[in-house]
Amino acid sequence: MELVLNLDKIQSKSVSQYAKDILDNQNPYKNFKIENYKYAQLHKDVKSEILLRDIDFSKLLDNTKNITSSISNPFDLTANLNLWNYNNEDSFFRVSSLVKRETKSVNLDTFNDRNLFLDISQINENIHISKSSTNEINLIILNSKLNDEYPKSIFLDLSNNSKLNVVHFNVSNNKSFLYFETNLQDNSYFNFISFQSDNIHTRNEFYASLNQECNFDLYGLNINNYGVNDNYSFIQHLKPSSSSREVFKSIVEKGAITNFQGKIYVDSIAQKTDGYQMSRSLLLDDISKANNKPELEIYADDVKCSHGSTVSKLDDEQIYYFKSRGIDSEIAKKILKKAFIVEIIESIKDDMLKNYSNELIESLLS
Amino acid sequence: MLEIKNLHVSIEENKIIKGLDLSINKGEVHALMGPNGSGKSTLSYVLSGKDKYEINDGTIDYNGKNLLELDVDERANEGLFLAFQYPMEIPGVQTSFFLKTAINSKRKYLGQSEMDALEFAKLMKSKAEELNISTEMLKRDLNVNYSGGEKKKQEILQMSMLSPKMAILDETDSGLDIDALRIVSEGVNKLRNSENSFLVITHYQRLLNYIKPDFVHIIADGKIVKSGDYSLALELEEKGYEEISQTA
Ligand SMILES: Nc1ncnc2c1ncn2[C@@H]1O[C@H](COP(=O)(O)OP(=O)(O)OP(=O)(O)O)[C@@H](O)[C@H]1O
Ligand SMILES: [Mg+2]
Repeated sequence: MELVLNLDKIQSKSVSQYAKDILDNQNPYKNFKIENYKYAQLHKDVKSEILLRDIDFSKLLDNTKNITSSISNPFDLTANLNLWNYNNEDSFFRVSSLVKRETKSVNLDTFNDRNLFLDISQINENIHISKSSTNEINLIILNSKLNDEYPKSIFLDLSNNSKLNVVHFNVSNNKSFLYFETNLQDNSYFNFISFQSDNIHTRNEFYASLNQECNFDLYGLNINNYGVNDNYSFIQHLKPSSSSREVFKSIVEKGAITNFQGKIYVDSIAQKTDGYQMSRSLLLDDISKANNKPELEIYADDVKCSHGSTVSKLDDEQIYYFKSRGIDSEIAKKILKKAFIVEIIESIKDDMLKNYSNELIESLLS
Repeated sequence: MLEIKNLHVSIEENKIIKGLDLSINKGEVHALMGPNGSGKSTLSYVLSGKDKYEINDGTIDYNGKNLLELDVDERANEGLFLAFQYPMEIPGVQTSFFLKTAINSKRKYLGQSEMDALEFAKLMKSKAEELNISTEMLKRDLNVNYSGGEKKKQEILQMSMLSPKMAILDETDSGLDIDALRIVSEGVNKLRNSENSFLVITHYQRLLNYIKPDFVHIIADGKIVKSGDYSLALELEEKGYEEISQTA
């Protein structure tokens, strides 16, 4: 296999070493230690006795164009890689996926449909997705029933003025490690929603690089997970006047661990940046855990950036209020859980997708 | 309807209700007045079944049932309603959805089928109009950013939609402007019939001008110290708690 990446050129010695392990068919996670992976527990064999549910996506397939089999051209990422100028440690997921897998591509402009469906769990390669037309498209990315030791990457390239909405359903996976990298050219718009449910061990990395006057929204929803579920984001504002907004909501129970670690980086020339990052977790019992680690790294002086995180429990007083109106506590709790996450569902732009997601979440919430 | 005998209640070792007796028959309106901290809200919470209160002694009979054995939601579905002194805010839950869920919970409890969407919408609209509550309001999250008076009106809307047998109004009048007080009182009076009962907790005789009680009780330090008819409220207004309690 020919490498697109020259491992010797990677600044982080540990990242390149672990990537070499993968190349040599060695287990890279044995002595794995990188700060950005602090809570991910990649070295652990996270198991659960739970039989993962089959979640039915047929209704969604009926209303969308399935482009999974259209991903075929081998893709040379070299040019793409040079676009990036990481100011922090390179992503191990990115490097290892490029070492381990080839990359295929698809151009969304070749389809006439408004709603596209892509099942990335059916594809072993990394995937490069590009879009340059200005019409708004909804891309559904399904990732389900995977048991995959090695990271996989999804690269998204948005040309000037293009608009894309992605809804990512990450459900019923034993083990899945995904790296999303989005490149937003000037004036582009990207809305990314990641629903994560019924997983045992997952980590999703969301890297985004924003040029001038871009708009990037990232919403995460994490429910019904069993083992360790980890989300990492790195948003870099490289040019002026772009905005990014990140909201993650997690409902954690049955001893599960949910982590969110995210950084907003603002370059010294990226004035008038507007960055927002919020992570909220709702713990349903005392054996579950939520770790939040938001970070800001700002080199420009005229910017608006805020971040925060909360960990809370269901409020007994609120449950009492429901009960005092005749609503039993099980229903009250379900409504309160839904209330906690409704903001994420509301952020879906397309009505069909919003209704579908709403019904799905409703059925998944116990 | 409701028969409270020798009730003793404490919270975290503090005795709050100290031997309270109160009997309310079908069709009656009782007013409960008393100084701050005398145990009025505590009594209403105990009646609704809030945990964290310890019942040290006494019995409460509700329509032939031992009220203390019923869970909070069972009491509600059996027709007991408490309009709270401080209603909860529930972010993320639309007021209309909450109302619908409450109505259907009761119907389910009574073995009835769910109310269909149109019937519910009609009911909600007419009841809201009576209370001068806009439909915009019902689309908002329950009590979130409602003004003090709007929250109280919302409680009365819930009450009129659930049409309880035994309603307890804990200082519903405080926070209401003069017009709202009249509108809310009219709402209560409209609901009043020979089959249901009200326990109206208030500090002000003004409310009782609108909602004429059959009986007035004065509570002090966890006990009913004086009972009488409407004139007791007038007397209280004149003399204050101190003097009234002494003449008891
Ligand atoms: N959790 C608690 N721990 C200790 N004391 C409490 C607690 N809750 C209430 N109390 C006390 O119980 C007493 C009765 O309170 P309650 O709220 O029933 O009074 P109230 O008659 O409704 O007063 P108000 O007219 O001000 O509404 C008060 O002295 C109050 O401080
Ligand atoms: Mg009170």
